[in-house]
Amino acid sequence: MTFGLGRMRRTLRRLGSARVPAGSSRATAPRSRWRRRVGNAARMVVALLLVGGVYAAVAPGVQANVASEPSADQIAEGKAIYDASCITCHGRNGQGVEGRGPSLIGIGSAAVEFQVATGRMPAARQDAQVERKPPRYTREQAQAIGAYIQSLGGGPELPDMTDEEIVAGGDIANGGRLFRVNCSSCHAFGAGGGALSSGKFAPSLMDSTPRDVWAAMLTGPQNMPVFGNNQLSPQEKRDIAAYIYTLQTDPDPGGWGIGRLGPAAEGVAIFLIGMVALVLATLWIVGKQQ
Amino acid sequence: MSPRKRRFEFARVPAQVGLGLDERLGAATVLRRTLNKVFPNHWSFLLGEIALYSFIILLLTGTFLALFFDPSMTEVVYDGSYTPLRGEMMSQAYATSLNLSFDVRGGLIMRQMHHWAALLFMASILVHMFRVFFTGAFRKPREMNWVVGVLLFWLGFLEGFAGYSLPDDALSGTGLRIATAIILSIPVVGTWVYTSLFGGEFPGTEILPRLYIVHVFLLPLLILGLITLHLALMVKQKHTQWPGPKATEHNVVGVRMVPGFAVKTTGFFLLIFGLVVLMGGLVQINPMWLFGPYKGEVVSAASQPDWYVMFLDGSTRLMPDWDLTIGPYTIPALFWPTVVLPGVLTMLAIFYPAIDRRIYKDYEAHHLLQRPRDVPARTGLGMMAISFWLVLTISGGNDIVAEKFDISLNAMTWAGRVGLLIVPPIAYWVTYRICLGLQQHDREVLAHGVETGIIKRLPDGRFVEVHQPLSDKPLEYTGTPVPKKMNKLGALGPAIRGFFFPIEKPAPPPAVTPVSPADAPRELEEAPPKQ
Amino acid sequence: MSSEQHGPVADPNFDVDDPRNTRFDLVREGLRRDGMEIAYYEPAFPPGRKSKVEKRIERSIALLFVLAGLLAIGFVVAYIWWPWKYEVGANAAKYYTPILAATLGGSLVLLGFGVIAWAKKLLPHEVVIQDRHEGASPYEEQRLTGAAIMNIVDETGIRRRPILKAALALPAAGLGVAAVAPLVGALIKNPNEGHPLLKTGWHPENNGGRRVRLTRDDGTPIRPEEVSPGGQMTVFPGIPGGATNKWADSPVLLIHLRQEDADRLRASIAESQAKLEAGQKVARPVVDGMWQNFVAYSKICTHAGCPASLYEQQTNRLLCPCHQSQFLITEQAKPVFGPAHRKLPMLPLDVEDGFFVARSDFLEPIGPTYWERPVEISEQEATS
Repeated sequence: MTFGLGRMRRTLRRLGSARVPAGSSRATAPRSRWRRRVGNAARMVVALLLVGGVYAAVAPGVQANVASEPSADQIAEGKAIYDASCITCHGRNGQGVEGRGPSLIGIGSAAVEFQVATGRMPAARQDAQVERKPPRYTREQAQAIGAYIQSLGGGPELPDMTDEEIVAGGDIANGGRLFRVNCSSCHAFGAGGGALSSGKFAPSLMDSTPRDVWAAMLTGPQNMPVFGNNQLSPQEKRDIAAYIYTLQTDPDPGGWGIGRLGPAAEGVAIFLIGMVALVLATLWIVGKQQ
Repeated sequence: MSPRKRRFEFARVPAQVGLGLDERLGAATVLRRTLNKVFPNHWSFLLGEIALYSFIILLLTGTFLALFFDPSMTEVVYDGSYTPLRGEMMSQAYATSLNLSFDVRGGLIMRQMHHWAALLFMASILVHMFRVFFTGAFRKPREMNWVVGVLLFWLGFLEGFAGYSLPDDALSGTGLRIATAIILSIPVVGTWVYTSLFGGEFPGTEILPRLYIVHVFLLPLLILGLITLHLALMVKQKHTQWPGPKATEHNVVGVRMVPGFAVKTTGFFLLIFGLVVLMGGLVQINPMWLFGPYKGEVVSAASQPDWYVMFLDGSTRLMPDWDLTIGPYTIPALFWPTVVLPGVLTMLAIFYPAIDRRIYKDYEAHHLLQRPRDVPARTGLGMMAISFWLVLTISGGNDIVAEKFDISLNAMTWAGRVGLLIVPPIAYWVTYRICLGLQQHDREVLAHGVETGIIKRLPDGRFVEVHQPLSDKPLEYTGTPVPKKMNKLGALGPAIRGFFFPIEKPAPPPAVTPVSPADAPRELEEAPPKQ
Repeated sequence: MSSEQHGPVADPNFDVDDPRNTRFDLVREGLRRDGMEIAYYEPAFPPGRKSKVEKRIERSIALLFVLAGLLAIGFVVAYIWWPWKYEVGANAAKYYTPILAATLGGSLVLLGFGVIAWAKKLLPHEVVIQDRHEGASPYEEQRLTGAAIMNIVDETGIRRRPILKAALALPAAGLGVAAVAPLVGALIKNPNEGHPLLKTGWHPENNGGRRVRLTRDDGTPIRPEEVSPGGQMTVFPGIPGGATNKWADSPVLLIHLRQEDADRLRASIAESQAKLEAGQKVARPVVDGMWQNFVAYSKICTHAGCPASLYEQQTNRLLCPCHQSQFLITEQAKPVFGPAHRKLPMLPLDVEDGFFVARSDFLEPIGPTYWERPVEISEQEATS
C-alpha cells in the first residue's frame, strides 16, 4: 500500500482551494474571505482524517512487529547492528568464528528474532546454555538483524502474524494435546521449565510471546529438537502457542498455584503452612505441662 | 427412685432421660469414670489428634467425592466446562474427576480438601511418630501400639497412592507405570503378580476399579480398625506423661476428660478442619486438568509422587544401575531401592523397641517420658534416620532443585548418592554431641545456679558472672526441664503470662497446694441447688 | 509390686444423700471412687458478680462466635450465588473456590479460637491425679484365669484325642486355602499367555501379517521428509487403537539425526556387530535398524517404564525425567548416567511406498527388566 505523500498534498491543495466563481457576492467581502479560509481548513482536516483513517484501517498495525517483506532499510539497519554487536563471534558475513560462534548461514530470520528478542543474544559468555536475559535490542531491531541474516543465506522464517493473531486462530484443546506429547517432557506440564542433563535446562515459557514460541519450535534452539513445518504444521504451531498463552493467562481456579510445580511444592506447603500452623496451635492450646 | 410427677416439667427431662437410660444400661459408674478420666497436658500430646481428625475429614470429603466419581477406564470424549480439554479422549475416571472440579458446585474445593487432608494425615503421622520416638513413649508396655502405628503409616501410604492414582491423570498414571516396574522387579513371581493385579498388560481396564475398592472400602476399613485398636490400647494403658511435680510412674497428672480435655480437643478439631478448608480453597493442589489424561507416551518434567512417597522416588533415582544376573535370570537394580529398602526400614521400625531395650539394657515398664537429650544414643539414631529420609526425599525432587537453583542435574544425583552415605553418620555424631552438651549444661545449672547476666569484677581483677542458685541444697536431675533463665520457673511454667503480648502484671506464683481428703474442702460455690 | 493401690481410698461412710454435702463434695467422692484425687482446683473466675475482666473475656469469645456465624452465612450465600462455572480467562468464577474457603475456613477457625479461648480462660484450672493401676494383673487373678483357660482346653478334650487333633489339621488347612483361593484364583493371570511382555503393537500379527506403519497419534502415516534433521517425533503403530493406552508399551521416538551423528551411530552399530561376530562381550541384541539418517527407539524407559522423552539434539542424549537415566542416541541408546542398566530397544525401520514401516517387532522385550526376561527375541518370533 503506497499512498505517496506528494499525491496526498496535491489532492488536498485542490480540495482546499476550490475556486469561487467571479462576480459572486461572496468573492471579495472580508467576511466571505474568512469563511473561505475556515472552509479550506475544515476540508483539509476532513480529508486528512479520511486518508489517515483509511490508511490505519488498511495498513498493518504499528504493534504488528512483522517483517513482511524486508525492505532495503531494514536489511541495512540489521547489518549495521550486526557489524557492531554480532560480528566478533559470528564473523564478517555470518560465516562463524572458530571456537566463538557458529555460522548463521541458513539459520533464518526466525531464529535470529527469537535469540535477540529474548535477550539470549548477544551472549554474555560461553556456557552450557545461553539464558534469557533483558534484551539489548527491541523486537524491531531483532527483526532487522533477522532480515539481514535471511538475506545472507535464507532459512526458516516466521509467518506474517501478530501475537494476537496467532493466539486468536489457535485451538487450545488440540494445542494442549500436542503440548503434552511434545513439549511437557522438557518444559513441564505447567510450562514452568525443567532440568536437562549436566547443567542444561528447558526454560520456563511463562514469559514467552507466541512469536517466540513459534520461532523456537521452528528452529530448535540449542538442545531443543527441531519441529519443522512438516512435522508440526503452522496451524498446529498456532494451537500450541494458543495453549501456552492460555497457561500464561488463565488464573488457577483452585487458589494460589504454588508455582504449578506439582507434589513436591505441595509437600513443602503442607509442612511449612499446615504443620507449622497446627504445631503453633498446640502450643497455644496446651503449652507446657502445668 | 422417685415417682413420676403428673405435671410435665422441662427441667426434669434430662434427669428422666438419664434415669431411663441407666435403667436399661446400668452405666452410671462407667460413665462417670470415663468423664473423669485424666489426660496429661502437653502440646506434643496433641499431634496424634491431628492425624485422627484429618482422617475424619478424609472420610467426610471422600464420601462426597465418591458420589460423583466413576473409576471406569472406558474411553469417553470430554464435553464438560473445561474448554482446554474439550473433545479429548479420556477415561471415565479422568472425565468424572474433571466433572468434580468444574461441573459440580463446590466440587473443586472438596477435591482439594480431600487431597490436603491426606497430605496432612501423613505429615501428622510422621511428626507424631517422631514425638513418640524421641520421648521414649514406645517402650514397654506400649510396643504393640508402636507397631500398630507403623502399620498405620504404611496403610496411609497405600491409601494415598491408590487415591491419587484414581483420577487417571498423566502424573499419577506415570506413577502407576513405575509401580508396575517395581512389581516386575520382584524375583520369581514378579510377572505373575503384575498380570494378576492388572488383569493383563499395563494399563488394561481393571486396575482403577480395583484400586477404587481398595481405596474406598478395604483400606479405610483396615485403617479404622487399627485406629480403634490404637486408641483402645491408649485408653487401657493410659497416656504417658512428662516427669514433674507429683508425676510418678504410677499415676497420671492432668485434667479431666470432660470438660477440660474435651473442649480443647473440640476446638482443635475445628481449627484443623478450618485449616484444611482454608488450604483446600486458597492453595491449589493436584491441578489434574493441567496434567492431561494418562497416555503411555506423555510425561512431564518434574514428575514426583506425593511427598510421603518421594523418599522411594529418591532411592530409585540414586540407585546405580547394578542389575544382578543369575544364569538366565535377572534381579533388576530397581528391586533394592523400592522393595528391599522399605522392607528393611519397616522391620527396623517395628523391632526398634526391642533394639532400644538392648541398647539401654532397660526391660522395665515406663510411663514417664524421657527428654531427648537424656538418651543421646536414641536421639542420635533418630536424627540419623531423619537425615537419611530427608536426603532421599530431597533427591526425589532433585530435578526441581536442579532447575530452581541452577545446579547440574547429574551433580544432584551424585550429591544424593554420596550424601546418603555420609550425612546420616555425621548427623548421628553431631546430635550425640549436642545431647551431651545439653545434659552437661543442665547439670551445671543445677549445681551452680542460673546465669543472671550480671558480670562482677573482683578486686583482684577477675571477671565472674553472678549465678542465682536454685536451692540451698544440692539438686538432683529428675528428668524435668531445668530453668535456664531468671524469669522461668522450670516445669512450673513461665512467670510472665500471655501468649502474644505479656500481661503487664506478673501472675502470682501458682498455689500448688495438695488438696487431700483430710484437708478442709474449699467452699467454691453457692449453696447446693434444691434437689 | 505392680498391683499396689497408689491413689486415694474411697470413704466407706460417705452418704450421697447427706444434705450437708455440697455438689462438689459429691464430685470429689466420685473422683476418689474412680481412683483420682484433686491436687489443685480453682475456677477461672469466682462465682457471684462478674468482674470487668470476666465480662471482657465473655464478650470477646462471643464476638468470635458471632463472626464465625456470619462467615458461615457468607459461605452459604457465596456457595449458592457466586458464579462458579468455568470459563477461560480472568473472571469472577475463578474466585469461587477461594471465597468458599475463606468464608467456611474462616468460620471454622474463628469458632475453634472461641472454643479454645473458652477452655483456656473460662474453664476451671485444675490438676487431677489418677492412679494408673498399671502393670500385670494381681497374682491371684493370673492363676485363676490361667486355670480357667487350661480347664477349657481340657474340656474340649483336644489334648486327650490326638486323632481328632490330627484330623482337624486337614480341614483347617483346606479351608484356609479355600478362603484365599477365590481371591488368588480369580485374580491370577498367566503372564505367558499371549506373551504380552514379549510383543508390542509393532508385531505384524496385529496387522494381518503385514509390516506395521509408523503413524502420528491421529493415525496418519509418516514420510521421511516430515521430520527435520535434529528433530524427533513420537510415533505409534498403525493399527486400530495403536495410539491408545491399549498399546501403552508401543510408543516409539523417531529421530532424524544430523549427518555427523548418524555416521557416529552407524559406526557404533558396525562396531557392535563386529564384536558380536568375534564372540566378544557386547550388549545384545545388536539391531541394524537405521534407515538413512533416521533411527527409532522404544520410548518406554528400560528402568521403570516412564516415557524417555527429553531429547537433547546437540548432546544426543535422551533424558528420562522420572529418575534421570540418560541414553546416548548415537551409541544405540546405551545408558550413560542414572539407574537404567540396558539400552533402549531399537525398532528396525524401513520405508515402504514412501512411508515409514517397522521391519519387525522389537528384538528384545521393551521396558523394565524382570526376573525371566530373555536377552533377545529372534527375528522369526518378532515377525510371525
